[in-house]
Amino acid sequence: MTAVALTGTAAPARSAPVLRLLGAELRWVLRRPRTLVMLGVFALVPVLISIGVATAGDGPGDGPGLIGAIAGNGLVLPVAAITVSLALLLPLAVAMAAADAIAGEAAHGTLRGLLIAPVGRLRLVGMKAFGVLVVAVLATLAIAVVGVVAGLVVVGGAEGQLVTLSGTVVGLGDALGRVGLVVLWTVGQLAAVGAIALAVSSLTEHPLVVLASVLGGLIVFGVLSAIPTLDWLQPYLLTTGWTAGADVLRDPMPLSGIAESTLRALCYVAVGGGLTIFRMLRRDA
Amino acid sequence: MATGRTGRIAAAGVAVAGLVGLGLLAAPAGAGAAPELPPVSPEDLVSSVLTADPGAFGGTVELDNALGLPALPGMPQASDGTSTARVWTDGDRRGRVQLPTSNGERTLVSDGQTFWAWDSESRTVTRVPEGEHPQGGPGGPDAANADPAAAATQLLAALRPTSEISVDGTAEVAGRPAYELVLAPAASERTLLREVRVAVDAEHRMPLQLTVLATGSSDPALQLGFTDISFGAQDESLFSFTPPPGATVEDGQAPEGRPGGAPFQGTEPTVVGDGWDTVVVATAPADAAAPGTGELDGDEPSLAQLGTPVSGPWGSGRMISTAVATAIVTDDGRIAAGACRSRS
Repeated sequence: MTAVALTGTAAPARSAPVLRLLGAELRWVLRRPRTLVMLGVFALVPVLISIGVATAGDGPGDGPGLIGAIAGNGLVLPVAAITVSLALLLPLAVAMAAADAIAGEAAHGTLRGLLIAPVGRLRLVGMKAFGVLVVAVLATLAIAVVGVVAGLVVVGGAEGQLVTLSGTVVGLGDALGRVGLVVLWTVGQLAAVGAIALAVSSLTEHPLVVLASVLGGLIVFGVLSAIPTLDWLQPYLLTTGWTAGADVLRDPMPLSGIAESTLRALCYVAVGGGLTIFRMLRRDA
Repeated sequence: MATGRTGRIAAAGVAVAGLVGLGLLAAPAGAGAAPELPPVSPEDLVSSVLTADPGAFGGTVELDNALGLPALPGMPQASDGTSTARVWTDGDRRGRVQLPTSNGERTLVSDGQTFWAWDSESRTVTRVPEGEHPQGGPGGPDAANADPAAAATQLLAALRPTSEISVDGTAEVAGRPAYELVLAPAASERTLLREVRVAVDAEHRMPLQLTVLATGSSDPALQLGFTDISFGAQDESLFSFTPPPGATVEDGQAPEGRPGGAPFQGTEPTVVGDGWDTVVVATAPADAAAPGTGELDGDEPSLAQLGTPVSGPWGSGRMISTAVATAIVTDDGRIAAGACRSRS
């Protein structure tokens, strides 16, 4: 009798519908005012760049990185804005979401409720990772969509086309496909940052520790890659491949850099995800 | 609890697999077993290289420079570091070279009649009619530097008399089986160079990689080679160029006096010795050598600012040492350069 009752209560509870879980996490992430403010800031990045480029006047401007290539060639804007933001701004957003996901809940004391809820630990980690990934996708898409619009409206495209860095001309559809590719690639890199951030988040109850370690880690990576005697270390650093985003502006498009950095990001995802699950399967509160 | 333990083991396994994957990604490519190829004598290999016509091909060339040259303005490829170029040729007169930098790209296209040079940072197109172009070949002098075929073939012809040439096994370069042709200086030669290795494609007999090794270092002083190559017909659209909207088109002039006249206003250089320890002695234009005199353009490197001061019975000057060569520039404008060691 007791056995029947136990299985009777445990079975439906174990299989709480995945979609409902993900929906709950999505609402939880999107209802935070800071997430919405952050998305607004990301939408502002390409707008500000486009205004800066448009007021600077016609002709090839000189600016850092790809910014100089935007003038009169608006479809470069989304790629340039994503590349610029990938350095710190986008990882900051992802680290913030990951910090809130586990460490933040622990700080508020709400993690205990989640841990004793009838949801498997694996599923809990999957749910939290989904929330982080959604933030990464939304932030990147915000830059890309506003970037395309601002590029075409404020800067003005080269007859509605994209002039690649190689000096060839690519039509609007192809150019949008390239922007889509850079969005996918960026989400992959941000997933790597998010997985490491979740791993740190599962180890601490202080959200600030997550932010500090992720941003500090990125800065350390930057310093390490600037030291010539440590160049053997470069293939291990996630940030090494982050210049590959500009490759979509070349023609014919070289895919090796994008593929290699994506594989490296997947390795980071495996490390971060494995550590997070390893820790969360035993975490008490 | 048992599931918890296996879950943790599985999770740790995933994390370790990620670390291993990172290590695999970082491992140098092409570390596979040496391919088995029918033996070939060095003479046959060299002559087949000299006569080979690889036809149309496209690929990526990587230059790994550790020569220790001083940085030259406008030529990032000359200073230490790695640079890449993407090259395409139709096997005849037409070709395309793209030199990517982190924020831009230079594209050089030769479409048979016109030579186009595009610079993405200034967004200018320079157009030179092919007939006037000094080199005529795809991309002119820049292409000759970037194309290992041209570079290695020139080297083979120059070094044959004073070198020990051997075929030292096989290797895989850019995913293709290749013979390793080794040119070592004969024992009587006093030179900074240890050996020059040329990887020759087994099928097309085209040099795929050029490696220059200096004495006292296991790392190459210079490595220029394909990291990726495909033979056969290339996309036709690569061999034409249309200036994009918004670009400034300039009509370039063929560099004046370069093809026929003296390369610079000094005396003709004299060559002392032969083989690997050849020394070239020349007289530099007076304003470039004498410190403090003459007005230099900002982008022209002053020889007087490079190297370390030296003096001897011949006078005094400055010595510029690199990994594979030494040069002495005297204060009165004489230059001696060669792949020899300084005696001091």
